[in-house]
Amino acid sequence: MTFLGMPLLPPKRRQQTDLPGGQGNIIEPESFPDVSHQHLSNQQLRNNIGHATSTIREKRADVVAELDDWEALREAGARTKNEVMANLPEYLTQFEEAFSAAGGIVHWARDADEANAIVTDLVADNAPVLENGRREVIKVKSMATQEIGLNEHLETAGIDAFETDLAELIVQLGEDKPSHILVPAIHRNRDEIRDIFMDKMPDAGQLTNEPAVLAEAARRHLRHKFLTTKVAISGANFGIAETGSLGVVESEGNGRMCLTLPETLITVMGIEKLLPRFADLEVFLQLLPRSSTGERMNPYTSFWTGRAEGDGPQNVHLVLLDNGRTRALADEHGRTALNCIRCSACMNVCPVYERTGGHAYGSTYPGPIGAILSPLLTGVEEQGNGSLPYASSLCGACYDVCPVKINIPEILVHLRGEDVQANHSPVSSQLDAALTGASWMMSDGKRMTATEKGLPLAHAVTRGEQINALPGIAGAWTSSRDIPALPNKSFRQLWAEEEGEK
Amino acid sequence: MTSTAREEILARINEALGRRGGGDYVSSTARTPASAGSAGAAGSAGAADESGSAASASQASATAADVGYRHEGTHTGEELVDLLIDRLVDYKANVHRATGDPAETIAQLIEAHDSVVVPHGLETSWLSGFDGEVRVDAPGEELTVDELDAQGAVVTASAVAIAQTGTIVLDGSQVCGRRAVTLVPDHHVCIVRVADIVDIVPEGISRLDARDPLTFISGPSATSDIELSRVEGVHGPRTLDVVILNE
Repeated sequence: MTFLGMPLLPPKRRQQTDLPGGQGNIIEPESFPDVSHQHLSNQQLRNNIGHATSTIREKRADVVAELDDWEALREAGARTKNEVMANLPEYLTQFEEAFSAAGGIVHWARDADEANAIVTDLVADNAPVLENGRREVIKVKSMATQEIGLNEHLETAGIDAFETDLAELIVQLGEDKPSHILVPAIHRNRDEIRDIFMDKMPDAGQLTNEPAVLAEAARRHLRHKFLTTKVAISGANFGIAETGSLGVVESEGNGRMCLTLPETLITVMGIEKLLPRFADLEVFLQLLPRSSTGERMNPYTSFWTGRAEGDGPQNVHLVLLDNGRTRALADEHGRTALNCIRCSACMNVCPVYERTGGHAYGSTYPGPIGAILSPLLTGVEEQGNGSLPYASSLCGACYDVCPVKINIPEILVHLRGEDVQANHSPVSSQLDAALTGASWMMSDGKRMTATEKGLPLAHAVTRGEQINALPGIAGAWTSSRDIPALPNKSFRQLWAEEEGEK
Repeated sequence: MTSTAREEILARINEALGRRGGGDYVSSTARTPASAGSAGAAGSAGAADESGSAASASQASATAADVGYRHEGTHTGEELVDLLIDRLVDYKANVHRATGDPAETIAQLIEAHDSVVVPHGLETSWLSGFDGEVRVDAPGEELTVDELDAQGAVVTASAVAIAQTGTIVLDGSQVCGRRAVTLVPDHHVCIVRVADIVDIVPEGISRLDARDPLTFISGPSATSDIELSRVEGVHGPRTLDVVILNE
């Protein structure tokens, strides 16, 4: 358990929503402290993540400092996303109309199962069966499809999904899980990546650990797939309601390959990813790359609107995904978490993420944003998700860097309140008992005075020395902290004496 | 099945926004802009209907959240060109300059190749200095992916270039070409007219039409996936030559 930031006053009556929570890879299986302990002892992991996050923090700070209107851009980003959420039905239907008018086909999915089923049917209809009796699709990195566990589902349906983003490829070949939303293989260093490639790429040959050599190996490995595969699956960074356009922001060109060469393109996008107008990109194409990879602009960004005659895929589909987003939207204190544009700046500055790594969060969405988004999508009752809001020191660094100004610390505290109400009442632990007792004692001046009468005795018992170890659950506090020596008199007693003398 | 999912999701959103019973949702965290406000009023209880479609395309030019960020840069003339060059070079593009006719510059850049591809609208005189084969990609006469893969380079023009970020935008026009044409060949020679250079991102966006297939290019293909260090050269063209053309 964590002690800091535990709300001391009982929160207002819990706002109940009967909207269904999301499913899939957004669930922490056990409590965060238990899971994170498995990772904290992995020194290699901590070195890799520490190195990578400090690199990216510096790059981001440099390119953000280049813009003297950065704060105004953040404010504009926050307001635009608030506007989207407040008018979501209208923007969704406007988007649907424009995308359909341009020859695209829109599908709606209430949850992960429904989205997986829609995509599977589309692949079965459009991808040929190969000699090995299976179908193939190529994929460009997508958080939404990671969230719904699409690859695993497709595999059971006889469809092999090939991840084409370098980091996703490293994760997939290493039979591993992503640990960062921008750089899923951030927990691997160059030596480990070389070993995975040499082990799992039949055509790799002898490789060195130089990043350029490893990138070249990925290029050779995937080139034929890009040029021949009939169906691609993508996510989307932005959907433009006004024009029905979709956009993908990327670096390697694997996105362009997937969005351009196949005959059929299936995009899975959360319903919250919309922007009202194309002109809003003038803000978001500044906020996202600088916050994400710390570049002035990422190498490639693609936009498409339904089907473009004679250019790119002619069979274009979009699956609009709820999967708990409406549940998150119903929480008026938490809904701004849906404004997230998945830049990952918050995890790169988080002292907790830097030490535990992304796997400790159990969900597709790790770090500070994951600590609020996962429980908002599922509800705090879902397995260990109620423990995620405590995975923070509430230092506020995440809020400072967030390009759309999501007040993550505030939502963390709100969700701790939700967790206490849902999972810890009435009194279910020593901590709850202690807090209930403290609350009773502190809520009445007479009780407080009575308690303070014990101070001289406590001072004597501890011989006026600092306290280095306490029994029971309080020992968790003193295992890493010392309590200063107890005073002879309380502040209130001293104050009364001083005032009395006047 | 999908139509039911649609109605249900829209109904869930209305419930989440507290619109049940016909009340309009008012954002507690932001001013509601005029366009969105009218859209909100149009969305009654239950699923929104199409007539409630939000801010119409006529409002395309204005963003809702104009809170004082820059819409125009401060660089002009040679200073603007210098900024673009600086940013292109920083992201490992090669930059060349030409005045009047770029044919000689282009010929030098592609002389090592046997064959190059161009979109059908490109000035034919621009390739006049090249001795190899020039394949023209045109509607009805598109090169196959394998044919594109066999080309040494692609030569195109561009729609707009954003100096501050070193970004070149292709819009699928007959001088920029189909998206596959600028993707599959490993070497892209891209001509940027000085008149098409703008300073900052908002100026660039305002010159584009969302309905065109758009590709924003900032340097050659790159990745930061290994220990977050940037490495150039993955799946897209590994060499990007930019020719800045004073006409």
